[in-house]
Amino acid sequence: MSQPTRHEIRIKRLFRKTRFGIFVLFGAIVFATSTLSIRTVSSQLEEEYESNSANIAKNIADSSVDILLNRNLATLQSLIDQFVEIQSIRYIYITSDTGEILTHTFVPGVPEVIRESDPHATEPVERSLPGMGDFVEIGSPILAGQAGTVHVGMDLDLVRLKIQRATGQQIALICIILIVGVLGSIWFVKLAVTPLEELLSYVVGLARRDADALNDAKVLARDDEIGEMARLMLHAVRGEASGAASNPGSGTD
Amino acid sequence: MSGSRKGTQPPNGPPVPNRDPARAIPPPPGRLLTRRSAIRAGLAGLLGAPFATSLGASTATRPLAPGLRWSGRQGAQPDDEIVLGVSAAFSGPSRGLGTELYRGAMSCFGQVNEQGGVNGRRIVPRLYDDGYQPDPCVENTLKLMLEDEVFLLFGYVGTPTVTRVLPLLKKFQDQQMYIFFPFTGAQPQREPPYGEFAFNLRASYGQETAGLVDNFIRIGRRRIAVFYQADAYGRSGWAGVRAALARHGETIAGEATYRRGTQFTSIMRPQVEILQEASPDAVICVGAYAACAAFARDAVDLGLHVPIANLSFVGSENLLSLLVGASRDDPAYYTPWLVNSQVVPSYEDTSIPAIPEYRDLMDRYDPQVPEELVVEPYDPFPYSFTSLEGYLDAKLLTEILRRIDGTPERSKLNDAVFSVRDYDLGIGELVSFAPDRRQGLQSVYYTVVEDGRFVTLTDWEAKFGPTATDDEAS
Repeated sequence: MSQPTRHEIRIKRLFRKTRFGIFVLFGAIVFATSTLSIRTVSSQLEEEYESNSANIAKNIADSSVDILLNRNLATLQSLIDQFVEIQSIRYIYITSDTGEILTHTFVPGVPEVIRESDPHATEPVERSLPGMGDFVEIGSPILAGQAGTVHVGMDLDLVRLKIQRATGQQIALICIILIVGVLGSIWFVKLAVTPLEELLSYVVGLARRDADALNDAKVLARDDEIGEMARLMLHAVRGEASGAASNPGSGTD
Repeated sequence: MSGSRKGTQPPNGPPVPNRDPARAIPPPPGRLLTRRSAIRAGLAGLLGAPFATSLGASTATRPLAPGLRWSGRQGAQPDDEIVLGVSAAFSGPSRGLGTELYRGAMSCFGQVNEQGGVNGRRIVPRLYDDGYQPDPCVENTLKLMLEDEVFLLFGYVGTPTVTRVLPLLKKFQDQQMYIFFPFTGAQPQREPPYGEFAFNLRASYGQETAGLVDNFIRIGRRRIAVFYQADAYGRSGWAGVRAALARHGETIAGEATYRRGTQFTSIMRPQVEILQEASPDAVICVGAYAACAAFARDAVDLGLHVPIANLSFVGSENLLSLLVGASRDDPAYYTPWLVNSQVVPSYEDTSIPAIPEYRDLMDRYDPQVPEELVVEPYDPFPYSFTSLEGYLDAKLLTEILRRIDGTPERSKLNDAVFSVRDYDLGIGELVSFAPDRRQGLQSVYYTVVEDGRFVTLTDWEAKFGPTATDDEAS
């Protein structure tokens, strides 16, 4: 392999710096966008799931009044079984006004944590149930709490998984944009660098009084700034040459 | 009559309704019917139509057409048939219940049809398999009501299934569709707002659990725990135990659950350990035979030596068969602590007039579930509590249909049912119905395992009293 000439090395260095700058800039954009996106998607999805759970709890609470007052626990169980089929809802239980668990969906039994919790709580609370996972539990009073309380447990692991999936997709999209952007930028920079390399090559030829370089019509024919610079340099070199020819003894006395 | 499962016509000979062109293997329980499956079923129906006359009782897989409405025929039946809509468990871990109930009912209908039917009309069941799952049951019921236009619903199995069907009956109450004698003792079909759409023959779970609790407490076993299916059926039994204990000033000592559809091969160790912590004097199981047998097996293996009671729904013979099969050397190893409540008398007691009649018809017709509904092998029992109940259900329904004056119409059903007063089914208990009395039988029987079969329990004290030891229980 031939050794790169000095001017080639310079251009590559300039190009490397530009490329590095592009990477840094796009990296910063991706990081900022991803962070914002993860936070936004995460909080929105969590809010949505919590809101869904709260709505389900309220729906059950609203529709259980008559069933509870009629002491029809089989129908009540049938009702909550249907809701538990909804994704991310992992358990439902209903406590009476006295705190007794009247119906639930736990298998193989009601966890101790649930038995010991406040049966009338309605605020969202995070629970870790041994052997089951992490949950957010939301309660809804039945008949203003006079008939009992519905508790709905949302699977946090599942919600986290969904959030990860959603944010992962966003990050993947941003990364694709980053790669395309960087490659595009490199191509654009290269577009700018190639004429510069031609100009540099031409100038070096001029300095060496290389006849081929003097007659390089390609760079001189350009109608952009590179062409103008080449023509200016040629003009300067020719002026210098003609000055030297018209005054051959000057400075020799 | 052949008892072969390969036969395409039920051996007891109810004619096959040929109006249904779609005859294909039904989809697995819980699976929604897709457009592709609908097309497949339609093609199968077209291909199978020429051979339809040789097939057994019908099945169908066609999806319900969107926006399908009642035809306005008000349940008018063909001139020579009365079509009964049946959705039951013919597949899955509880298929023994649907199969046995059907066999018992068909032994009766077989004879009725052979003798000319009811007022010249043969009784024809239209069968669908729901696998003991609520959603397929609802789907089947809609098809039975809206597409097949059956006269009434009959032979349904299970609380979670029936509980979900009841709102449909209320929704279509102007069509006066009723469900007759479902194989469940749950409360929803016995009380408002759905009680008016159902007629029950068997005693309720409340009566069964109350009887068990009363007997246990009478012999000093006051700490009673419950093992139950995590659904409407389990909750119904749980509520019955809770209410019965409350009358004695007691509460449920401990409880453990399992998921519907649990197989006998499942491990019930967690459930047994939960109940062991409660130190119960007895355990009442509210479940199906596969799971209850698994629990009884693991309870014995883990040293929980207390009476383990099962409700009638369990399917006693299926339960016993699994436990005997699991015993290594001693067939009675897992069974000494079993006590099962029943809602019909023992089929071994031939002194009861209905029993020889039932046994004779079962022997004669040996009804089998139509081949196209059999997706898993099942060896039926010659006689069982479940098939006896099916037989009694069919016998009473036949009597009710006979009491309909003229052309069968659903609007005449209520009057026909309420005309049944002190009717003798042949089991020693007279049956009566009235607008405020929609359950025919009230008796509960208790059975234990002796010599590899269920026999009537006569002395609770001697069998399970405080002085009874492991050996005596055995």
